Amino acid sequence: MSLEPLFQKLYDSPLAAAIRENTSYFPWIESLHVLAITLVFGTICIVDLRLLGFQSHRRGARQLIVELLPFTWVAFAGAIVTGGLLFISNAVAYSNNAQFQWKMIAILAAGLNMAVFHLTAYRRIVAWDDALPPPLAARLSGAFSLLLWITVIVFGRLIGFTLSVF
Amino acid sequence: MSIESFGNWLYETPLSTTIRDITWIIPAVQSIHLLAIAIVVGSALVSDLRLAGVLATDESPARVVRRYLPWMWAALIVLLLTGIVMLVAEPGRTLGNTVFWTKMGLVLFAFALTLFFRKPLLDPAFGLEHAGWRQAVKPAAWISLIVWVAVIFCGRWIAYT
Repeated sequence: MSLEPLFQKLYDSPLAAAIRENTSYFPWIESLHVLAITLVFGTICIVDLRLLGFQSHRRGARQLIVELLPFTWVAFAGAIVTGGLLFISNAVAYSNNAQFQWKMIAILAAGLNMAVFHLTAYRRIVAWDDALPPPLAARLSGAFSLLLWITVIVFGRLIGFTLSVF
Repeated sequence: MSIESFGNWLYETPLSTTIRDITWIIPAVQSIHLLAIAIVVGSALVSDLRLAGVLATDESPARVVRRYLPWMWAALIVLLLTGIVMLVAEPGRTLGNTVFWTKMGLVLFAFALTLFFRKPLLDPAFGLEHAGWRQAVKPAAWISLIVWVAVIFCGRWIAYT
């Protein structure tokens, strides 16, 4: 089964046409997308660095995670909505773009890494909450998370250089 | 020499040509620029919300600022350097662009706010409760956040104006 007809349908939707045809919609949505990305990466970076063993403004890792994760999630939701709007404006071209595909895979991998962290090391966080450096499992989660989100941002930027609209 | 002819001269320099000819430089530099602005935004978010009295109010402002200010300075230096590479490569895109100069003005303003309202907190002997400008800390924190958001918007719009 090919997803191409679905992407073509999205491309043909009135909303997608409006984003394509109005010269200022795309830059506005793109600006919001960049803002959301900086909030996602900025807050996740603080948590990842703590997992790697860099002291934060909170002594305990758990408190820091509980305090910052809501910001990350709201910003991530914003990035999905704005990214989705940018995507439908040229759905077929984006879906065929290798950099876009790698970006999606990197986001999935980052999500998977976070899920593994929450199901393993985070469950035992009471035992290492104040420990510096944190246990290896937590440090690995932090390192993978940083690397994967950097990959997401680099591929995202590369889309702008490689997308063929015609 | 007008700013336009300076831009044209810069565009023709071997350095500018080299940056453009090696096609991976600009995407790489832009990615680093984006990562560095994310560091600034993350650090500004936590410390400004603390100074505004919204987040982590049970920690002292000094402790929060001490943790994030060095990262902000480092990220700002990276932003300046990567920004210069982009400017040298494509002076025509920036030097005559009102959005670019607006962005520079806003960055300078946010930098001044950061310097004035946060740097004193690094001194252990400094007591915020005795400072004459303590009433201004909360509004300044909100203004700082708004200015950084405006900087990001201007940054994206440079490509379209």
